[in-house]
Amino acid sequence: MTNYAGLGAAHGIQNVKVVKSLLANNDLVAAENRARLDAAGVLAINLMASPGAGKTSLISRLVGAVGTARLGVIEGDLAGSIDTEKVLAAGAADAVQINTGGTCHLEASMIRQALDSLDLAALDLLVIENVGNLICPTHWALGEHLKLCVLSTAEGHDKPLKYPEIFAVSDVIVVNKIDLIELVDFERPRFYELVRALNPQAPIFELSCRTGEGIADFGFWILGQWKNVL
Amino acid sequence: MHELSIMAQLLDTVEAEARRAGASRVRSVNLVVGERTSFVDDALLFYFDTLTAGRLSEGARLHIRRTPMRFHCAACDEAYRPGTAHFRCPRCGQPGQLSSDGNELLIESMEIDI
Repeated sequence: MTNYAGLGAAHGIQNVKVVKSLLANNDLVAAENRARLDAAGVLAINLMASPGAGKTSLISRLVGAVGTARLGVIEGDLAGSIDTEKVLAAGAADAVQINTGGTCHLEASMIRQALDSLDLAALDLLVIENVGNLICPTHWALGEHLKLCVLSTAEGHDKPLKYPEIFAVSDVIVVNKIDLIELVDFERPRFYELVRALNPQAPIFELSCRTGEGIADFGFWILGQWKNVL
Repeated sequence: MHELSIMAQLLDTVEAEARRAGASRVRSVNLVVGERTSFVDDALLFYFDTLTAGRLSEGARLHIRRTPMRFHCAACDEAYRPGTAHFRCPRCGQPGQLSSDGNELLIESMEIDI
């Protein structure tokens, strides 16, 4: 929405009303990405978490928990291709690496490029692994259907207090490393109270990528979400 | 770091709007930035000054209006700012719900020379 106040004045100082999101350009590209994904019937998940929370491990586990659904991966990382190799070895149908060269988050234009090098017709699910960071990725829409936040118990139950926004904007939350919960003094009631104040609806899955506990339920839920975009 | 990317986008919009309005110079740009966005004023100002060099908005002032994050307590029907250790209502102690306040990330207006 743009309207020019005082457009009548030919010269001098003018106050121009703009009222546009700072992210307007990114959001436009995100909408284009989303349209491509919808047309191909691919459910896209924007996976966000701290470094070491288990993003790549979760993707590797998810490959085996979605039955015959074909899962592709876009790996966003500062540098390197080790994560792409890992998810392909785990059975991912396809994987593309985006090296952000130091940028702390993925943007819609990077995803547009990555989509060009994926055969969307050969995929059912697409997991976009964002850069390991709990702040920057939250505001950049990529065209995803779901924002998924992964937290590991070892990071502590007070993470939502320090990084509220990522929990507020997520459509689904995974608590990984649940097998460590007794060892790391993760207080479950405190965590749930904080998250529910920020986000009353998002389903929360407790699981362990190490033991496999809880993975099947999560995979089943993802498949249910995929049926919604078909 | 994400302030650099947001400022680059901001300036593309500002320059396009300024040209459309027939501006010879941009004097100031007014933003609304909510607390929930985690954008840091100093970083925004620094990148704004860096990126405006040689453009219509060179030398322009950047004004940032901040809006706070708030919760709402259903029992007290009151808005409140969160504490440092929890998100509970400071009056009754019950957990509230995050409101949409503080989520803004807007270019509100700008002042230009015609």
